[in-house]
Amino acid sequence: MDTWKKWAIGAAVVVVAGAGTRAAGLWGGSNGSDKDTLNLTFPTPIQTLDISKNTDQYSGTVIGNTGSNLLRVNAKGKTVPDLAKSVKVSKDGLTYTATLRSGLKYSDGSKLTAEDFVYSWQRIVNPKTASQYAYLSSGVKNADAIVAGKEDVKNLGVKADGNKVVFTLERPLPQFEYLLTFANFMPQKQSFVEKQGKKYGTTSAKQIYSGPYKFEGWNGTNNKFKMVKNDNYWDAKSVKTKEITWQVIQKPETAVQLYKQGKLDRTTISDTPELYKANKNNKDVVKQPEATTSYIEYNQTGKNKFLANTKIRQALNLATNRKELTDQVTSGISTAATGLAPEGLAKTASGKDLAAYVAPGYKYDATAAAKLFAEGLKEVGETKMSFTITTDADSPAGKSTLDYLKGSMEKALPGLTVNEKFVPFKQRLSDSQTQNFDAVVSLWGGDYPEGSTFYDLFKDGASYNNGQFKNSAYTKAVEKAETTDALNASARDEDYKEAEAALYKDANINPLYFRSKYALSRSNVKDIIINTTGLNMDLKYAYRK
Amino acid sequence: MLKYILKRLILLIFTLFLVITATFFLMQIMPGTPFNNPKLTPEMIAQLNKAYGLDLPLWHQYLNYMINATHGDFGTSFQYQNQSVGMLIGQRLPISAQLGAQALVIGVIAGLFMGAISARNKNNKIDGTLGVVSTLGISVPSFILAIILLYLFGFKWPLFPVSGWGDSFSESVLPTIALAVGPAAIVTRFVRSEMIEALSSDYVQLARAKGLSEKEIVNKHAYRNSMIPVLTLIGPMAAGLLTGSTLIENIFSIPGIGQQFVSSIPTKDFPVIMGTTIVYALMLMVMILITDILTAIVDPRVRLQ
Repeated sequence: MDTWKKWAIGAAVVVVAGAGTRAAGLWGGSNGSDKDTLNLTFPTPIQTLDISKNTDQYSGTVIGNTGSNLLRVNAKGKTVPDLAKSVKVSKDGLTYTATLRSGLKYSDGSKLTAEDFVYSWQRIVNPKTASQYAYLSSGVKNADAIVAGKEDVKNLGVKADGNKVVFTLERPLPQFEYLLTFANFMPQKQSFVEKQGKKYGTTSAKQIYSGPYKFEGWNGTNNKFKMVKNDNYWDAKSVKTKEITWQVIQKPETAVQLYKQGKLDRTTISDTPELYKANKNNKDVVKQPEATTSYIEYNQTGKNKFLANTKIRQALNLATNRKELTDQVTSGISTAATGLAPEGLAKTASGKDLAAYVAPGYKYDATAAAKLFAEGLKEVGETKMSFTITTDADSPAGKSTLDYLKGSMEKALPGLTVNEKFVPFKQRLSDSQTQNFDAVVSLWGGDYPEGSTFYDLFKDGASYNNGQFKNSAYTKAVEKAETTDALNASARDEDYKEAEAALYKDANINPLYFRSKYALSRSNVKDIIINTTGLNMDLKYAYRK
Repeated sequence: MLKYILKRLILLIFTLFLVITATFFLMQIMPGTPFNNPKLTPEMIAQLNKAYGLDLPLWHQYLNYMINATHGDFGTSFQYQNQSVGMLIGQRLPISAQLGAQALVIGVIAGLFMGAISARNKNNKIDGTLGVVSTLGISVPSFILAIILLYLFGFKWPLFPVSGWGDSFSESVLPTIALAVGPAAIVTRFVRSEMIEALSSDYVQLARAKGLSEKEIVNKHAYRNSMIPVLTLIGPMAAGLLTGSTLIENIFSIPGIGQQFVSSIPTKDFPVIMGTTIVYALMLMVMILITDILTAIVDPRVRLQ
């Protein structure tokens, strides 16, 4: 009996180990140097393929590469025709007319028509869909009223006319051409969506694809799937890669190891400062700005009398050493902020980076800060000040950021006490919206490559103005950009510059850093387009040389 | 016996009802909304709440949930748009269960062996070594072990895949070992002490006096009796293993249910939190019930009432 058992177990162990290693060998051999295949990774599982309802960046990467819109953003950040042959804008900027290419088809062979665009726009604003990105359509005729349930979906300013899609706007929208590239507005076939019903977009079989690739092998929860070249795509001849395999790898260290073994072609290394430090000297490192700014909002409702004082806010801003902050807290992954609009967000009319152009001159000057601080304290009639900064408890950088700010501000400004408060992300959002804070570290990412995605934040009465300050020079400049200068790019650049200067002068906010990512990217894999807003990673032209 | 099982089942349903109710109301304390997009303004949130019925009074939402749940409809995830909770759990639970079952079988078998060997070599070198090994196995958390295994057998000597699930059996080897070591160590300690006690008990003395061989004594008398308490251990252990290990699933990127449970909480994905809680509670209760019944079958001294 005993010996029999021993033999059985021994045999089982041998079988397990043998099968394991053999399968491992097979597994290891399939990936790698195949010329027609790219191997990529996501750090979290895919959530949905529902075009109108998606909110997740990585699901958006799938939707954006397996779908197409009227326009597409090219490597220079400009829009070029995709499913549309041309998009014409009326002189007043209120009518956009897109003419579709002929013979457009989905991956299943069904026809792609102008009606599919109308349906997609109607679907996202329909309150029944409850899309969290419905607000992006604001400015299209009746969109806001439809979202609020006050107007019929049929009256949306998006109509089909033969092979043309006609958009009617309520006001000129400088960003509108970029909305015509967005994944959330890609065409959807009504008959298909309705046939799938509640299951629409829940697996790769429950979606049809209008883009460079088809999506295969996703059952709704699994972690390995692939994109396969879509031969029905109008520009299939430009798609050089036949297959892109994806696997979800949640441990960034594992992904980096697989990259080094040649099993992945690209992976991020900036998830933790340690991982970044260990890999930053690798020759394959590429920088990937995120068009996201981290900034402190000061509560200026009068709830904290110190922060209602301009000189004190100016002092706090001057006492913030942004360079040292990014070096110490993020090991140099992020860049010191130069204003509200982040680097890599948008280009000026003359092709410069908007952030660099509008930068009002935020700097670190402890002496000037201490002087302003003393004057400010006198104005409010106090000799000491204390306030609390709130940040996310669930963000790894939260604690170290606050520790740094506390230390450096208290050192530069005698008589100041900074208290730290950590709350969960969702709590921070609701605290911010209800002004339940003295100062709060906020994070904002752009939706489209145009200044207004940031400058809309602090207009008078804007719902994102958590500090509830009023800066009339700022509001005036931003409104000018969005009305009189809406069709004049270079005048808009000037307006945004003025707006930044107004924010700087009153020290209404304190920009800390621009968030960036770093990645390892195989040098023989060419033409991956990285966008800071919209489709994060465009693989249409990507290929292995 | 049948009456007892029926009674336990009724109690189980009542407990489940309490768990659902408590979870439902406790969830409301969490801050924020289940919507992922941090840019939503209060007006937009109000509109979305209306669309999802989250603007109804709490008792009304609770009633709706209970009515739907009794019809087998556990709602739709907020995070995974359009995915029903039934489907999310239905696809993820079998993966966790398979991994857990593999770990349980290997862990328990290894533990039974090592425990028996340890007891029979009481206080000599083999026992000492196994003692150290099992103490290590109990005290080193599975995720630390997972990382060590990952480094050794995934990168240093790349024998096994380091992440993923479903393509080949080899993908499950490292996570299974990482999960099995803990139970193996616990079972080892348990069996050892039970067996030492059994070996010095009266009935073993009697067997010895009868002149039975040592092999027969150990296999027929001591081993069998020392396995009964192990049975009580396996129930809760199985519930824990079958419902997934969040950390192990995360390290090896396994699309199991543990991962789902944890990610649903910070995102406040109500229906998924409810669904996974129910699965956990149910699993634990059923396992304990099965253990109790099995114990009664194996050990006639235990009377169910």
